Amino acid sequence: MTTLTYPLSRIEGHARVVIDIHDDEVFRADFQAMEMRGFSYYVQGVPAEQITVIVPRICGVCSTAHQVASVKALEDLFGVTPPPLADEIREVLLLGQLIQNQATSLFIFTMPDRVNASSLFEMGENPESKERQFSLAQMSLKIRKIGTDLITLAGGQFIHPIKTVIGGVTSSIPREKADSMIKTIEELLPVAVNLVDNYWQMSMEMVDRIGTWGDDEPTYYLTSTEANNFRLNSDRLRVMCEKGKECHIFAPQEYEKFINIESSDYSYAGVSDFQGHIMRANSLARINLTESFGTPIADAYLKRFGDAHGKPAHAILFFDLCRGIELVYALEKAKQMLETDLQNGETMVKYQPRDGIGFGLVEAPRGPLIHRYEVESGLIKNADFIIPTVHNMLAIRRALMVAAKRYVSADGINSELERAVGRVVRAFDPCIACATK
Amino acid sequence: MESKKELPKFAVLQLSGCSGCEVSLLNSDEWIKNFDLVYMPLVVSTHKIPEDVEVLLVSGGVRTDEDLHNLLKGASRSKKVIAVGTCALSGGVAQIGEGHISRETYLDSAHRLRLPSMLPRAYPIDKYVHVDLYLPGCPPTPELFITALTEAEDAKIASIVCQECGRKKLTDMRPTSISGRRSGTPDPEICLINQGYLCVGTSTRGGCGALCTRPGHACVGCRGPANPYLNKDPEFVLDNLRRVFTRMTDIPLEEINAELASPWLSLFLGQFTDYTQDQSLPQRTKEKMI
Repeated sequence: MTTLTYPLSRIEGHARVVIDIHDDEVFRADFQAMEMRGFSYYVQGVPAEQITVIVPRICGVCSTAHQVASVKALEDLFGVTPPPLADEIREVLLLGQLIQNQATSLFIFTMPDRVNASSLFEMGENPESKERQFSLAQMSLKIRKIGTDLITLAGGQFIHPIKTVIGGVTSSIPREKADSMIKTIEELLPVAVNLVDNYWQMSMEMVDRIGTWGDDEPTYYLTSTEANNFRLNSDRLRVMCEKGKECHIFAPQEYEKFINIESSDYSYAGVSDFQGHIMRANSLARINLTESFGTPIADAYLKRFGDAHGKPAHAILFFDLCRGIELVYALEKAKQMLETDLQNGETMVKYQPRDGIGFGLVEAPRGPLIHRYEVESGLIKNADFIIPTVHNMLAIRRALMVAAKRYVSADGINSELERAVGRVVRAFDPCIACATK
Repeated sequence: MESKKELPKFAVLQLSGCSGCEVSLLNSDEWIKNFDLVYMPLVVSTHKIPEDVEVLLVSGGVRTDEDLHNLLKGASRSKKVIAVGTCALSGGVAQIGEGHISRETYLDSAHRLRLPSMLPRAYPIDKYVHVDLYLPGCPPTPELFITALTEAEDAKIASIVCQECGRKKLTDMRPTSISGRRSGTPDPEICLINQGYLCVGTSTRGGCGALCTRPGHACVGCRGPANPYLNKDPEFVLDNLRRVFTRMTDIPLEEINAELASPWLSLFLGQFTDYTQDQSLPQRTKEKMI
């Protein structure tokens, strides 16, 4: 038996892929998380109201989603309804995170794969390609920074936001700050569109070269966004089943009826299934379950994607293209929202803590994220974090099998396999810190 | 652009942490021009730290045997080591459950086949390697990263968070309990302590631009204690905070003491006071702090 081990880079966290081959046949392909965070253990006994500062530290990439999910779980538990203005500001915050994340995944993590480079910062050999690469890197970081600036504007701290608190948000968004942000978005939206078009073109060229968009068998798809009113500050989950039909809608409180989560002997990350079926979350799941974004450029991309690849679409490299569509949507939507009045009105209501069980849901960049807390005598008795990367685990394994079988034969192991493994995993944009909680 | 060969080699080693420090670093593009990034698995597909690295940034705590191996290897190949963020400076958020019964369950559940093993706790990196510069913060701002990378010698850092906060401290607004966070929108101009918040900005190192307190969230102390409290017993820092709250509020001492023992403070205040208890750790002087 031969075991191939591929350490992974350009993803969040420490992970590797292990492929076992016996008699020229692949019989196992595994994705292993190499670290364990342990939050569900060490928040036990923490005063409930303090958990909103602690749990964003599960992950510095998804911290915004964790912070908002955490606050929403305690609001559910304490019976608090935040004012409408707070909900709007939280949505702007989550859009900021979507921009930051999709820009990172597109430009820093996966664009180098399109040209077989080792990083976005790897400069070309001749002066012309060097200059092109340098400007590409700078533009990419500029687009990414809009996300960070939005998080700062709507969330205060820029990595582990603090403005979202139990009862609302601590302060509103002043008109002049919103205006200056709008100006930046107006200036850079064409740059982002240009980058996404470039990325799309580079992806087509890559697929011409390698001859596949990857594992394209249907799966279930899971999102908490709506078909026509795309909101990340969400309140229910939707599922698309085999035939492309929406088959379940459920509240976060009901997740255990549908989603089964188990731990693994070979990985610090858990594995989940949807009533026995493989499912996918993240960008492709959202696009498959979206009819309209309600913003002009993103809707044009949505149509272009559907016309070219059908809906629902299943091949895994479409996840990457869908991230581009969502990046454009989030920029357009953030601008729309900043044009409304986010300055005047009540931002926070008073509350009294109480014991009980509460659930908080948001659509994180990787899919629906649920926090479930049980509070006794004001302290956290149990905390569960239901993580979208875990929902993709079976789909990642299957896609790795498909790739491994493509490149392993009686003639030997094709050297393209290592690159294929990277492309497969990055298409799912897994987050290891989160997956091990 | 300068030729790649003339630029100093720059490497970023991530141990067990949340990637937030790396995400912060990526929010600034100024360092791209000054360094040749040779190792940073989050953005570069290289799995080996090369020889002759000029500057090695280390984030994350030493949590697994693999972390320790990578740290020792990385530091031996680098001229200068900068410890970045709460986890590299103290082990970080993983220390919250220290002493709690859940820790045993956690470690018991952490055995896997063919994967790195967990150490008994997460350690700060200077337990194992020499550190030239410390950059505290959870995470440090992009501006602080640039300061640490390019102008550490001339750095002018605000001594405490209050210096950059701008909220007014009042003498005639004395809360009687720490319940500000339950009372609706805070006043944007007045000190959060006056409004009944447990804010520790008075003893916390500045330089962050008071990112949290200005929009209305109490400082939890992520930059660690200010210079006067470095290398001091934890009680010394807590005493100072007690004095601030006694001077500015009418909150009963028992309530102040209970709140000061909060996990969200121990997460950060502990990061610098903890290590004074461990004789195997080197002293951290103010000259080495950003």
